[in-house]
Amino acid sequence: MEEFPQPAALVEGGALEVGNGLLMLLREAMEPLPPDAVVAVRASHPTVAHDLPAWCRVMAHTYMGAASGPDGTVYYFRKSPFLPIATEERPDWGVRMPRRDNGELHTRDWMVGRVEAVPDRATTTTGFAPRGAVVEQGAPAFDFTINERSAVWAAEVADLYEQATANQWDASRDIPWDRLEPLPEPLERAVCQLMTFLTENEYSALYVPAKFVPRINPQFNEVVMFLCTQMMDESRHIEAFTKRALANGGGLQYSAASTQLSLKTLFDQHDFTSASFLLSVLGEGTFLDLLRFIETHAPDPVTAEICRRARVDETRHVHFGMAHMRYYLAQDPANYEHLERAVRERAAFMQSVTEVSPRVQEALAILAAGGLNADRLPEGLAKVRALVSEMHEHRMRRLLAAGFSAEQAVEISRLHTPNFM
Amino acid sequence: MDRPILIGAVAYDQRVVPIWEGMRDYFREAGMPIDYVLYSNYDRQVEALLDRQIDIAWNTNLAWLKVCRRTDNRCRALAMRDVDADFKTVFVARTDSGIQSLADIHGKRLALGSADSGQAAILPIEFLREAGVDAERECRVSRFNLDVGKHGDTGTSELEVLRALRDGEADAGAMADSTWIRQVTEGRVDPTQVRAIWTSPGYCHCNFTVLEDFPEEVGRNWTGTLLTMTYDNPRWRELMDLEGLKRWLEATPEVMKGYDSLWEAVERQGLTRNWPS
Repeated sequence: MEEFPQPAALVEGGALEVGNGLLMLLREAMEPLPPDAVVAVRASHPTVAHDLPAWCRVMAHTYMGAASGPDGTVYYFRKSPFLPIATEERPDWGVRMPRRDNGELHTRDWMVGRVEAVPDRATTTTGFAPRGAVVEQGAPAFDFTINERSAVWAAEVADLYEQATANQWDASRDIPWDRLEPLPEPLERAVCQLMTFLTENEYSALYVPAKFVPRINPQFNEVVMFLCTQMMDESRHIEAFTKRALANGGGLQYSAASTQLSLKTLFDQHDFTSASFLLSVLGEGTFLDLLRFIETHAPDPVTAEICRRARVDETRHVHFGMAHMRYYLAQDPANYEHLERAVRERAAFMQSVTEVSPRVQEALAILAAGGLNADRLPEGLAKVRALVSEMHEHRMRRLLAAGFSAEQAVEISRLHTPNFM
Repeated sequence: MDRPILIGAVAYDQRVVPIWEGMRDYFREAGMPIDYVLYSNYDRQVEALLDRQIDIAWNTNLAWLKVCRRTDNRCRALAMRDVDADFKTVFVARTDSGIQSLADIHGKRLALGSADSGQAAILPIEFLREAGVDAERECRVSRFNLDVGKHGDTGTSELEVLRALRDGEADAGAMADSTWIRQVTEGRVDPTQVRAIWTSPGYCHCNFTVLEDFPEEVGRNWTGTLLTMTYDNPRWRELMDLEGLKRWLEATPEVMKGYDSLWEAVERQGLTRNWPS
């Protein structure tokens, strides 16, 4: 009888055939073996005598022969010298994310093993493979254009994503729609005008990140995932604000050409960091003050609650924008000029816009005055003026926190669109 | 040679184009540019080689024999795929047919592939004869003469053989072991219904054929360049997967003995009568 070398692995195939499971046992056993290792497989089914050598031939394993014994036939072959997957790297095994004390498993805690290695520069050939997976070489290049970590990253992004998923709400059920009572017409009209304005701004806040998501390399998946929560938030805000305009006998009101111009210059941004700066730090940051103003002066509990919930969401977006600016500016303080230029160029495009649409200003004043009440209108208008200067102050504070100097902050805040967003 | 070496191949499938575009890239990068011409059938390609319209023909075993015969053996093979050196035919049978050996096929319904397929028609007749079965007289033979001229390359006739077995139209059939094992591993075969019952000895399949006066040194260089293509380089892995090989082999005299069995089968079956001489 022919003598075979001592095999590196002996697979007990029982009555399995090549087509119904034997190959799965073989692959598992062969995975850790080096090239040219001798593999033995004991199998009793007669078809194995034909199918195993044929499989060896097409897979470039060297079939060596078989030996019959009392426990069945043992087939021998030498493992192919070629890599089954074109890579020398091996995947992680044995990693374990830590659980929080309450048993929860948080996204920020998944930085274990290979996942932790966020590349400073990602290659486009890792495609849709999750960061941490072993990617076979020879995969096609994808058209991702944002491959630099500094162009999108924020240290706190996983925390913010965690907060976002935990704080999703339902605009159909979580708002006390049944507490909506008829309002005097000027007040209802003011609310409807503001809802129209908020909605158009929310569209831009949805479309801007949406435009960048397919361009960001999935190696920066926390950013992509966070932006998706942002898009969902904006979608819900669009829903809630539109519903409020339609729910109480009024309807959607005017959309000013100047507002559209302002929003279009935002949507036309081609650089993620510039867009994030203009949208999240300056625009949404300014919106926090606007939403608080409407919430404070809302003539009904529904409007107040929608604005409160939207403000909580927007705060997260502002935090992401600021965290990204901190990361971006920390890479190179000279990056400041890039951001300043973006603000300046946008301002140059909309020199005709000197103030927020008069209808929006008036609506805010009517809300602050509690109605179209001659006695209280001057006070309402004063509150709107106070709001605008408060917006400027808060913008400066956020710019300082994001890593800008006091001088830079003043200049940028001054150049920000009077349209708020 | 002061021009790119021109290689002929038969367009038996759409994937032939990416294969040869890849080959062209490979040889250009290796500093030995080639170009290729596609033919619709092997007879056309053999004529082109004989007329010196191409330098090298990527031939099936049957096309190789035709060149040998037409040139009175004044030709040689340079290289082949690893899978071409020890090619095999399997006979498969329905489990309910009672067939367990080639001899059992006597009197049964036998499905064969295209008449010009070495692996699925010509050699199977020969293997049965060696086992004492005169298939043409003693079996009810169904032939699936699809894509004639492409020498069984498309594999469609072999899949028809398998379908005939599955549908109960035949008791046994023959095909390349590589076709069979792909169907098995991809889960397209119910092992309780159809299974392999016999595997042939190895024989040779395709090779790169040149005429006798193709310069020795150019041939050596070309073969040497081809043999350095490695499956572990992701750049060429796709091409090699499409062509179904893991490495290229030199066509040594020892390896070339693998064409003897087809020669004998072709002679015995009188197929050369229809070949131009």
